[in-house]
Order: sequence, then structure tokens, then C-alpha cells
Amino acid sequence: MKTPGLRFLGIALVVLLGIWAGLKFHTVQRAPDAGVPVPAGMASAPNPAEPSELAAAPHPVIPAKLPDFSLQDLSGKPTSVDSWSGKSLVINFWATWCAPCRREIPLLKSLAADWAGRDLAIVGIAMDYPDKVRAFAAQFKIGYPVLIGEQDALDVAAKFGMTSPALPFTVFTDRRGEVVALFVGELHRPQADFILSEVQNLNDERIALPQARRAITEGLEAMADKHSG
Amino acid sequence: MRGGHYSAPMQRTHAPAFVGFFLIAALLGTAGTAYAKPWWMRGVDSNETDFLPPDVAFRVAARLDGNVVKVRWVIADGYYLYRQKIEVKAESPDLVVGSPALPPGVVKTDPYLGTQQVYMQQVEAVVPYSRIDAGAHPVQIKVTYQGCAEAGLCYPPITKVVFPTAGPSAVALSVPPYPWETIAIIGGACAFLLAGLVLRKGRKLDIPS
Repeated sequence: MKTPGLRFLGIALVVLLGIWAGLKFHTVQRAPDAGVPVPAGMASAPNPAEPSELAAAPHPVIPAKLPDFSLQDLSGKPTSVDSWSGKSLVINFWATWCAPCRREIPLLKSLAADWAGRDLAIVGIAMDYPDKVRAFAAQFKIGYPVLIGEQDALDVAAKFGMTSPALPFTVFTDRRGEVVALFVGELHRPQADFILSEVQNLNDERIALPQARRAITEGLEAMADKHSG
Repeated sequence: MRGGHYSAPMQRTHAPAFVGFFLIAALLGTAGTAYAKPWWMRGVDSNETDFLPPDVAFRVAARLDGNVVKVRWVIADGYYLYRQKIEVKAESPDLVVGSPALPPGVVKTDPYLGTQQVYMQQVEAVVPYSRIDAGAHPVQIKVTYQGCAEAGLCYPPITKVVFPTAGPSAVALSVPPYPWETIAIIGGACAFLLAGLVLRKGRKLDIPS
């Protein structure tokens, strides 16, 4: 630019463009979100020692401990999560209408077979109509326990911080009932094996809970980076 | 020479304000990138909030156009809606709606769910309607839809009551949400670059002769 006046005008135009575009994007992006709860799967780490921080959090958090709940099993019998007390749990939330959930079933069956006889249980929680779940479980020969619920299953999902649930999601706990990981989306074998190896380390007291949680978070992110890279 | 002396102090005086504007613009621009991060793997220690809420993944709005209601969904990149899960029903008591006319979707075959038609980016349903009491009640419709993310996540069916707007297409319908992200980022980046140049030049002019 030849003169300061022109230079200033040019800069001012670019500044205005930047501000206008930013504000426009901000408005378009934010306006429809008003009042929409953020799903809890991405919430902060459990931190019961700082209740004020939790109260100030904009969205629900994942609980530190396995919450108490009870749902009907495939036969209609009420079943409490306490039934598996003392075991590590892989709690898989799913539905028959959800394609990635259906794709996970062979993996979960395989994990159930691999860990049979050890202190780990796979439990499915179907957020669906009981007749559909029973038919699907029979068709796919699901051998691990499956609990079923509609609103009551949504309530259980909310206890895990998933107030606006998206499926599938899978909760991993250690044998003391500490929530070690909450995995949102379709689970694959490498991730499942990795998380379970950390749960095993935790159960064998080779690592402490904070280290296990951190290792899982970092390990999964490294896997994601490798996958996307 | 005089111009140089005049412009240097002026730039020095206003530079912090410019940088502030640039920072705001750039921050607003980059705020949207959080939505583009991978979200499908998380441990409990993760502190990320880049999960698309269903109402952001699938934005719905409707407008009245003659004797039809046009319901449009704007679908975020990487997400899709199932054609057969879309329903539009009357909500207000005097309203009668017909079956929604939907365009053919993209055929998606999943070995575990079979073949389905899905919509990506956006879709519009055209729904004929009539009013029994000639307008004593505001038009309200109830829409149901269900969709998933390509990366392996599905949302339960969503049901919403929508108030169609009258007349031509509303801004929310006609403006796709994501191009602004690019504009904002580029605008912010240009602003930063220029701010740097201005500050550098200002410093040079500041050197006493």
C-alpha cells in the first residue's frame, strides 16, 4: 500500500471481515444449541473431592464408582448390578436399531469367552423394546447377561453421565467397582484389549486408579491418532 | 516523512486494540474446530467436549409454503439420517397432515443392519397440510427422526414439536452452518498476519533517527 490511509483502510477491512465472520459463525453455531444438554460421554474425569467444581460444571460427569441400578433381564427378572459384585465389569449400552451396536456383538461374545472363569463379566444393557431384544439375542446367540429397559435404561445411562445418550457406549470397572473408562462409540478389539489389560493391572495392584485412567485416556488417544494418521 | 511520523504513533496506540480484535476473531473462528476432533475414543480422564449433541448433528426447521409444510434437516459432516425413520405428524388440534414426500436417499448397506436409505448434508420433506378451523390455532407439527455418525455412534430417535415459519425460507434453513467455520478461520488467520506486519512496521518507524 502506497499511503498510510490506504494501508489503514485495508487493515480495517480485514479486521472487520475477521470480526464479522467470527461473530457470524459464532451466532450460527451457537444459536441452535441453546438449551441443548451436552452429552456426558465427554465430561470431565470423576473428581468427588471437589464438589464445587462439579456443581459448576456445564454438563454431567462420569461417576467415580459404579452406581447402583436394577433392570429386568431377558426373562423379565429384575437384576441388580450387585449380582456381579467383586468382578470387573464391561457394561455395554446398545439397541437393536443401532448398526454399530450390532457390529460390536461378536466382539463382546468373544470377550465373554476369553475372560470366562476369570473375575470379569460382560453385561449388555439394551435400551430397546424387550421383544426385539429377546429376538435379537436369540438370533445372535448372545451368551452373556443382557438387561433391558426403556425409560429405566435411559435413567441408568444418565447415572453414568450420559444424559443425552448416544449408542453404543461401554463402561469398564475394576473389581472394586471403580469406573475406569467410559468408551463412547463402536468398540474394537485393540481398544477393548488395551482397556482390559489396564483393568487387569489395576486389579493386580500393579498400578493405581489415577494412573490406569490416565494410561487408558492417553493410550486411546494415541490409537486414534495412529488410526487417523 | 511527516506521514511516517504521523502513522507510527497512531499504529502504536491502536495496535493493542487491533490485536484484541484479531484474537477475538481468531478464537471465535477456531472455536468451531472442536467439533471436528475425533470423539469416538475416550477414557474417563478425558476432558474433551467435542461430542456433537444430537441437536447440533441434526438441525431441523420448517416453513409453510402454500398448502405444504417444508421440513428441512441440516446434517453435520460425518453424520446421516435414516430415511425410513423420518415421520411428520400434526401437533396442533386443527391440523391435518399428509404423508411426507421425501427424496430418495443414499443406499447404505450394513452387514448387521441390512440395506437402508440415508441422507447426508441435508434433506427436505414436503408435507401437505390442511386446517380444520381455518387458522384458529398456530400450526405445530411433530417430527421424528433418527441418525448416526459414520464413525460408529447412533442417537436414539428424536421427536420434536416444530413451529413452521411462514413465507420464504428462514435463515436457519438457508444457511448451512459449517462454511462459516472456514471463513472465520481464514479471516482470523489473515488478521493475525496483518497485525504482525503492522506491529513490525510500526516498530521500524519508531526507531529514532
